[in-house]
Amino acid sequence: MNPAGATRQIYWNISHIWAMYVLLLPALAIFVYGFYRQIRKWRRGAPTARFDQPFTRLKLVFKHAIAQRRTARDVYAGMFHRFISYGFVILTIATTVVALDADFGTAIMRGHFYLYFQSLIVDLFGVLVLAGVGLAAVRRYLSRPKKLVYTDEATWILVLVALICVQGFLLEGWRIAATNDPWARYSPVGNLVAGISLPFLSDATLPMAHRFTWWFHLLLSFGVLAWFPYTKMMHVFTAPLNIYTAQLAPLGASLKHIDFEKTESFGVNSLAAFTWKDLLDLDACTECGRCTAVCPAHTVGKELSPRDIILDLRDAMHAGGLNAPIIGSMPATSPTALWQCTTCVACMQVCPVFIEQMPKIVDMRRYLVMEEAEFPESMQQAIMSLEKRGHPFSGTNATRIDWTDGLDVKHISDAQDAEVLLWVGCGGALIERNQKVTRSTAQLLDRAGVKFAILGRDEKCSGDPARRIGNEFLYEMLAKENVEKLNKHNVKTVVTSCPHCFNAFRNEYPHFGGSFEVYHHSEYLARLVSEGKLKPIATTTKSVTFHDPCYLGRQNGVYDAPRQLVQISSKSLEMERSREKSFCCGGGGGMSFVDEPPDKRVNQERAREALATGADVLAVGCPFCMTMMEDGINAQRGDREMRVLDVAELLWEALSTDSTDSTDSIKESA
Amino acid sequence: MNIVVCLKQILDPEIPAREFRVDAARREAERGNANLVTNIFCENALETALQFRERWGDAKITVLSFGAPTAEDSLRKALAMKADAAALVINDKSSNPDPLTVAQVLATAIRKLGSFDLVMVGREAGDWGAGQTAGLLAEELSLPCVSFVDRIEAMNGGLRMKRQTDSGWEVLEAQTPLVVSITNDEHNVPRIPKVRDVMMSYRQPLTQWTLADLGYEMDDDKYYEVVDLSIPQKESRCEFVTGDTLDERVESLARRITEVTSAL
Amino acid sequence: MNDVVICLLNPAGFDRAAQGLAGAGRRLAAELGSQLKAIVLSPQSPAIPQEVARVADNVIVVDQGAYQPEPALSALTKVCSQLSPAAILFGNDTYSQEATPRLAHRLGGAAVGDVVEVMVHEKALRVSRQVYGGKAQATIELKRPPAVLWTRSRSFASANHLTTPGDITELSPDIPIDPRTRIVERKRESQSEQRLEEARVIVSGGRGIGGPEPFNNELKPLAELLGAQLAASRAACDAGWVPPTFQVGQTGKKVTPDLYLAIAITGASQHMAGISEAKNIAAINTDPDAPIFKHCRFGIVEDYRKVVPLLRQKLIALQNSQR
Repeated sequence: MNPAGATRQIYWNISHIWAMYVLLLPALAIFVYGFYRQIRKWRRGAPTARFDQPFTRLKLVFKHAIAQRRTARDVYAGMFHRFISYGFVILTIATTVVALDADFGTAIMRGHFYLYFQSLIVDLFGVLVLAGVGLAAVRRYLSRPKKLVYTDEATWILVLVALICVQGFLLEGWRIAATNDPWARYSPVGNLVAGISLPFLSDATLPMAHRFTWWFHLLLSFGVLAWFPYTKMMHVFTAPLNIYTAQLAPLGASLKHIDFEKTESFGVNSLAAFTWKDLLDLDACTECGRCTAVCPAHTVGKELSPRDIILDLRDAMHAGGLNAPIIGSMPATSPTALWQCTTCVACMQVCPVFIEQMPKIVDMRRYLVMEEAEFPESMQQAIMSLEKRGHPFSGTNATRIDWTDGLDVKHISDAQDAEVLLWVGCGGALIERNQKVTRSTAQLLDRAGVKFAILGRDEKCSGDPARRIGNEFLYEMLAKENVEKLNKHNVKTVVTSCPHCFNAFRNEYPHFGGSFEVYHHSEYLARLVSEGKLKPIATTTKSVTFHDPCYLGRQNGVYDAPRQLVQISSKSLEMERSREKSFCCGGGGGMSFVDEPPDKRVNQERAREALATGADVLAVGCPFCMTMMEDGINAQRGDREMRVLDVAELLWEALSTDSTDSTDSIKESA
Repeated sequence: MNIVVCLKQILDPEIPAREFRVDAARREAERGNANLVTNIFCENALETALQFRERWGDAKITVLSFGAPTAEDSLRKALAMKADAAALVINDKSSNPDPLTVAQVLATAIRKLGSFDLVMVGREAGDWGAGQTAGLLAEELSLPCVSFVDRIEAMNGGLRMKRQTDSGWEVLEAQTPLVVSITNDEHNVPRIPKVRDVMMSYRQPLTQWTLADLGYEMDDDKYYEVVDLSIPQKESRCEFVTGDTLDERVESLARRITEVTSAL
Repeated sequence: MNDVVICLLNPAGFDRAAQGLAGAGRRLAAELGSQLKAIVLSPQSPAIPQEVARVADNVIVVDQGAYQPEPALSALTKVCSQLSPAAILFGNDTYSQEATPRLAHRLGGAAVGDVVEVMVHEKALRVSRQVYGGKAQATIELKRPPAVLWTRSRSFASANHLTTPGDITELSPDIPIDPRTRIVERKRESQSEQRLEEARVIVSGGRGIGGPEPFNNELKPLAELLGAQLAASRAACDAGWVPPTFQVGQTGKKVTPDLYLAIAITGASQHMAGISEAKNIAAINTDPDAPIFKHCRFGIVEDYRKVVPLLRQKLIALQNSQR
């Protein structure tokens, strides 16, 4: 037979085709309405600009919606998801081909295309879909990972998809059997079905079974189509849209600005107060649970669950009432949970569909802080200290220049030729342990011949704690003041050892007219080493594990510079949760001011991981991490010795013999 | 019920000791980098007044300060905490008026504000800590005074209050009008104003008077005069107890401890 | 008149505070070349005026029964205006602090509180006191008599006994009952009911304590001896040796004791942030370089396990010798 003419009769054995169109219309209408309904809700959100840089956005969609890179970080899930999604793409194309031939009089479904694509490839991808569903079911019902959401809806979706696929094969097989299809071997699965069925179905029952299954398959398919936008299946459309409109700036720039003059209510306590993008986020969620699985607060047993915040908000959105209060009115948005977030953005980094969980938490915090003035007392103290003293450490007796004792450090007004402003930060100036890090940094810069200056007593907090706690008003005041100060002194380059300050200067201060070249001290020091201005000697064989600060690594993509410093004089061991998967020390988001329950301490969880590497030293790059990890290691180490050192201190140690004054090991600490 | 709460704005008392400097010639602390803040006990007094109004209703709270023009910020913050009205008597004469002058000025201003039922004052200021304002003010207004109060309730025909003593506490019943001084307690921690209220507070009216408006002639140094102010040379060295044997050293330690505890 | 008057308001006994007051009064009177008089208002025990008479030239007893501030003030005013003294001295108890400025006003004099020293300077009286939260020392000259002062009398040396005790006069000035204020309830609190933030003496342990047992076996008896409350640093609380309510520091309680005894505590700034208002800090620590020593008035470099039991013995001995 001539393959050029290969095809099949489209509606073989089926009559009353018109009924199909009659049924299709309401299904389509319900389908379209489902989306229309949600789009209308999203549009009630506040405006935001997410349609710039279309080319970049399309690339994101390609990488993550089509290639599904993030989804595939979990190899098993990535595999079955690709099976199902790619399978469906092929099946959809196949159905479209049929429709084109059936309704538009084209003749595509012929010949080699019919044999190799419409028959063979479609069969194989149909199997993939079934395999995918099978793998998904094994995970959902046998492994039962806690991060998944176990609903009847999820079960029905798997069952229906499987059923529709199986029906497809049955139909194909029975048609092949009944028509003695000469091209059967190009549809291997159908062929198999035909072979198996023949003994059980007679000449009379075969067409009946086929016809019955055909209409059943149609009903199920149209049913699923109509049901589609009312379930998480919606993500097929909302996820790519969400990825297209994702935040393109680094994760450190995730928080929104408030126009204090024009805004009526500060922060968010209703769905309508979110932006349309926030609301779209809610409908893009696939209930995968990865965000909650990586959340450090959740990992140590606290209530906070980013996944549940999104899903509870989503359910509230579907129920209507876009103006009803959302804080505390559903389990996941209780103030208790909201105040547990460290703003580490592990949730955002892991989300396969680019949902922005953390900014929503901060939005709700803003409402609690600025509209209600209801927030944890320890954070209140930090805020009051920021207002009164320009730093969050109430009760400290240290001054901002204590660390300069014995060093010749110039104030910027006295240093006309300074190339760099060393921004010390509140931690680096006022916390005793971190003063040593600042000293090391200053000494290293000096050794390298870098002309730097400090603001000294004129330095005020970058505002990061205020911003993360939710007092955007105070943060703006501090930020504007700092930008003004730096501009007044004509500062061009800023080096800081605090990733929170680093993030503020790099990502947040441009909004206030502050555009500076900003470096984390590890970046700047690594550059000095590579330029030969600092010549460290690799003298020790100690092993070091580096803890990536969230605000340096995940939020700003700086992973390598600190590692370069670590590797100079030590053997570097990586923790499993490192780089973008780094596990927070628990100090961000205002949490370092809060007393956590003794059995639910994020820093101790991380300390256990660090100690398990067997390294001699835990290297850090942030004053918050230093405080949290020292506490954590002390509480967890038992008899083991593990020093906690900043990368600058490690570098200083490696420089020469006169590095005597700054790196005390941790003895019995308070 | 009309309540007047007196506030004093002072230099931040929590600046590190290392940064504290004294202007010996003018006999006052140097401003340096320190911020100006409302005295904490005055804020406790305001918080007590606010809670009283929340609980017992129908009270108008006016905050009053006698100080430099910068004291306006303290009054604005009080308005943000939802005080009803604010008045500032501008002190452009003396940077450290004696307690009697303060009491006389406040009394004059209070009488000018109109009728009142309760005057609340912080027990002492975090800078000079004289602790006399409540008592002298009561005398100027010919009213009784109750000090170190931390809780006030309304009672049939008057007020019922609890005050702290060095050995415990006492409950007093009092008629209005009355002057009280307030001390801090876990219940009167000053509330954090809502940001919107802070923004609004700058648009509210604030009465400003000069001493001339009050018809008051300041005659400083009639009551007392600060003749010297200095920073004592504190040994920053820890005295490590001496002794040849452990016994002797611990004996020395015990003596030093007892020296301190017996003076209590 | 140049006399010096000391006032004891509703005293429970002729305690250390009263003795110091008498001492200061006598020394001032000597400098002025005048007499020391005493007013004892509503003493809680009849023996008190006699004890006062051993050190004062005149003792005036005014018994109004249960102490009430307004009548007491009126009585004081009446008696003092008759005596017309140069100075009137009080202790630092609540009633004295409350009465001092008001009495000064009624007598047309001037008041100062929290006085640690009284001096005569060219016919004027000057006093010395701490200001600015203890960061500075001020010398204040009183401009109009009488000088009415409340003092930290517990730290003054007491007066010598007179060879002949002074006379005791009982007065009952006609003071109408003042209905405007009335104390209706009085409560004495025991040490253990006190909040840590109010404790005058605190014994605190850090990571170097090593476990929960020494808190109970060593530190607690020491605290009881000193009438102190127990506290701990974050490390000790984190390790679960003591409840979190013990925690003092940046994220813990801020305390203001007269004596903070830090045992096996390094003194990192977060801990120091909780005790920045402590008047005296003492430490027991094996590490001479521990930051805590930079903030201490005194301390000992030694293992607390060797120090504390011995310290308890020594303190008991000293307490016994003072009785």
